[in-house]
Amino acid sequence: MNALDVQGLTKKYPGFLLDNISFELKPGRLMGLIGKNGAGKTTTLKSILNLVNRDGGTVRMFGKDFLANEEHCKQQIGVVLGGIDFYKHKKLFQITDVAKRFYQEWDEEAYQRYMKEFSLAPEKRVNELSSGMKVKYMVAIALSHNARLLIFDEPTSGLDPVARDDLLMLFRELVKDGERSILYSTHITSDLDKCADDITYIKDGKLLRSAEKGEFIRSFQHLKEPGEAGELTLEEIMIRTERRAYNV
Amino acid sequence: MFNLLYKELRLAAHPNLFIFTLLGALVIVPAYPYGMVFLFGCLGPFITFTYGRETDDLYFTALLPVRKVDVVKSKVLLVVLAQLTQIFVSLPFAFLRVIVLPEGNPAGIEANIAYYGFGLVVYAVFNFIFLTEFFKTAYTPGIAFLWAIIPAALGVLAMEVLVHFPNFRWLDSVAPGDLMQQLPILILGIIAYALAMTAAYRISAKRFARVDL
Repeated sequence: MNALDVQGLTKKYPGFLLDNISFELKPGRLMGLIGKNGAGKTTTLKSILNLVNRDGGTVRMFGKDFLANEEHCKQQIGVVLGGIDFYKHKKLFQITDVAKRFYQEWDEEAYQRYMKEFSLAPEKRVNELSSGMKVKYMVAIALSHNARLLIFDEPTSGLDPVARDDLLMLFRELVKDGERSILYSTHITSDLDKCADDITYIKDGKLLRSAEKGEFIRSFQHLKEPGEAGELTLEEIMIRTERRAYNV
Repeated sequence: MFNLLYKELRLAAHPNLFIFTLLGALVIVPAYPYGMVFLFGCLGPFITFTYGRETDDLYFTALLPVRKVDVVKSKVLLVVLAQLTQIFVSLPFAFLRVIVLPEGNPAGIEANIAYYGFGLVVYAVFNFIFLTEFFKTAYTPGIAFLWAIIPAALGVLAMEVLVHFPNFRWLDSVAPGDLMQQLPILILGIIAYALAMTAAYRISAKRFARVDL
């Protein structure tokens, strides 16, 4: 059973159309959702989560329709949205104390363990955490309620290379046992060269391709210029696909 | 429902909401327009909703394992809890003032049965407009507050002015006979409040369902 099954996802905004996006995320896989700024990555993630109203399409999580089973599906996910820091002036233990009441499978012992493992002090306020630590805190919450699908919107944006590498290593660890899946949007494609299993590429609101990483890279080798040796990286694929000429 | 309210009180509510709730005690102040208590009760939710926007509170709630409509329910429950608590906080002081300030309130209406009836009507009007306007976008509490506070303030003003007219002196009284005469105003207030909150929740939920966060 797929962790996530998105079919024909469509969202119309004035001046922007997210058009008929379909992809599947299998258990134990880490999928990178790529596209340049404004391509529709965040809209895709928000539409999946019913934060924005979709105009068409279906979303199934672990075989269940998301809209019809919103509470059940949300029990099984952990989400980090880019640029959104909840309750910046609250202490972590205050936020946890509220969040845990909503989850049926909350494991307090596991939570304490993750907080230690990630070096997170419960007395710290959200605005005292670095961007990487904020993501780790949300991961700690997600793991403590046994989330099987983690959705991250630009989790590594603004992080230094060491913090990025640290998070990517953590993401790999999370999917290692095959129980959890990660859907992760980014425009830092070099991250995905390191850690992704699958790539979904959105360009101007349209799905360009969604495939296993190796297959994805091979399918774009026609972008190579004569005389170029070796495979194109994800970054080169994206740059060459998005490149435009100016007539000024 | 308890968890949603707990979340509101622990994370979403601005400290001002608690202070304004305690201002129910103002009915013990000599020569003070007690209608102000209800205006504080309108201001509290506005500040908390604005604070909620700054703390991404709606996103937090929407990502919890609840339905999107529960985001609205959570806020409606908070407003009701704050306003009814404020009224309950004020009650002992309203009784006490009859003993310690027997000369009455020259500034405006007494803290009597009519006062609470009018107050509930003011809350009903304010909450209905404020909540339904706010949940059109879920990020413009200022505009919603502006639309809602104008009729609420006019209502309070009318209440305070009315009792100065000789024909309406019975509204300004704490004599047992006059209190009985005021009882229908309280009943009307309770009905108006209950209806307004139910309607506000339903309309707000419909509007919020269309909002893109």
